[in-house]
Amino acid sequence: MTDLAVDVLIGAGLLALAWQTIIGKSLFRGIVLFVVFGLTMALAWARMGAPDLALAEAAIGAGVTGALMLVAFRRLVRIRPEQSAQPALRRSRLALPVAVLAGSLVAVIGLAVVAVERDPAVAGQAVAQALTDSGLGNPITGVLLLYRNLDTLLEVAVLLAAFLAARTVFGEDEARSPTPSRREVPLVGALLAIIVPLTILIATHLLLAGSREPGGAFQAGAVLAASGVLLVLAGRLQPAAGLSSWPALGLTLGLMLFSLIGLAVMAFGAPLLALPGLWAVYLIETAMMLSIAMTLVLLFAGASGLRRGSP
Amino acid sequence: MSTTEVLAAALLLAGGLFYLAGTVGLLRFPDVYSRLHALTKADNLGLLLVCSGLSLLAGSWRAAALLGTIWLLGLLAATVSAHLIARHARARHFNGGEQ
Amino acid sequence: MIELLLPALVIFLLLNLAAGMVRVARGPTAADRMLSALLFGSTTVAILLILAQWMNEPALRNVALLFVMLAAIVSLAFFGMPRDDADDGEQR
Repeated sequence: MTDLAVDVLIGAGLLALAWQTIIGKSLFRGIVLFVVFGLTMALAWARMGAPDLALAEAAIGAGVTGALMLVAFRRLVRIRPEQSAQPALRRSRLALPVAVLAGSLVAVIGLAVVAVERDPAVAGQAVAQALTDSGLGNPITGVLLLYRNLDTLLEVAVLLAAFLAARTVFGEDEARSPTPSRREVPLVGALLAIIVPLTILIATHLLLAGSREPGGAFQAGAVLAASGVLLVLAGRLQPAAGLSSWPALGLTLGLMLFSLIGLAVMAFGAPLLALPGLWAVYLIETAMMLSIAMTLVLLFAGASGLRRGSP
Repeated sequence: MSTTEVLAAALLLAGGLFYLAGTVGLLRFPDVYSRLHALTKADNLGLLLVCSGLSLLAGSWRAAALLGTIWLLGLLAATVSAHLIARHARARHFNGGEQ
Repeated sequence: MIELLLPALVIFLLLNLAAGMVRVARGPTAADRMLSALLFGSTTVAILLILAQWMNEPALRNVALLFVMLAAIVSLAFFGMPRDDADDGEQR
């Protein structure tokens, strides 16, 4: 009974927040509501017993996207002040048909899922058994790297492709730096001194613990990226033009190492991307974490390189 | 119900009350500075009480240490956020309002 | 008894959040709207910690840890906002 009440409250809250976010009277209100929506979404993942997703939502939703939208809004105010004051949404005649279609699609899929009979004897148990043998206690990391390894490889490639696509529009206007130079605020230095080392510790913990409990390369990479975003926002890292060798290595490390190991195993007669052992899993996860973090920070900074900035 | 549980329940309830106080302050106080004051102070005391109650229930030193760390970091985040928001509001006030 | 108190507290805190949403709608300044985001941040952390105890899922404490660590990012991004706009000035 109380379970149901909690779930209904979170579900209704999510719907109300989503509605308010898109019909928002102003862009800024929409952004605040979107941040709040992300927090509530993490609660929903927690209730659904998916702490891995809640971790990713905490790092991406609370850390990166909220800041990204605020910075984008700030830039919009600077280059098109009249547009930033307009309401976020214009009414369209297509809205109702699209909403009805989307709603019925969700209803059909939901009904189909409910109607399907659960048969736990097949794939799930076989996978769980195989994962126990492989030494990976966290089924999500196991499935991502042992069964969906091609998908995971392509996800890393997609991130790189996103960065390359975004790179074509970097540096279009002179106001691209997210932090105009300004005086250092007293408490920010102390905050950075505590939070940044801690994020590195937590990211490493999530990466190493990811083989047994919730965590993994994506979560760890997102946490590292959040600390990078913090440094960019505080002006300690400044966007720089031109791709230098270290960021380029960081960007491609995950893809390169994953592909190299995945191809190398074929020389020993194993199928493509069959990982030879736990050491390979840890190596690839570390490389992926660095690549994910580097890509996200560079995307946030809107530049192909970073340099140290004075505070 | 053991003594530990009674104590934990009392702490949790007190924590909930402070959260309520923070929300009431956010809704009822007249200007942005007093709202900021109410929210960041009351909520962090609420978090401390909730964390202490949960540490008693969790019954492991590791969980208790983690809860303590979370409270300290929450304190740090609230302090810095309150400072930044107040500075922003004050600068806006002097730029826009009284010149 | 305590098994009943934990979900009841979660429900109470969720209702608290719903009340806090009024401040987002009412404003009147951008800073006021940011305050509700702060309220959501600190309350979500408490809810996650209670859920971790109630659902017996210790990993949720790590989620709460991430939230408090990264809570200041949004405030820092907000601080860089221009001072005299982002305030739609409407009263409801």
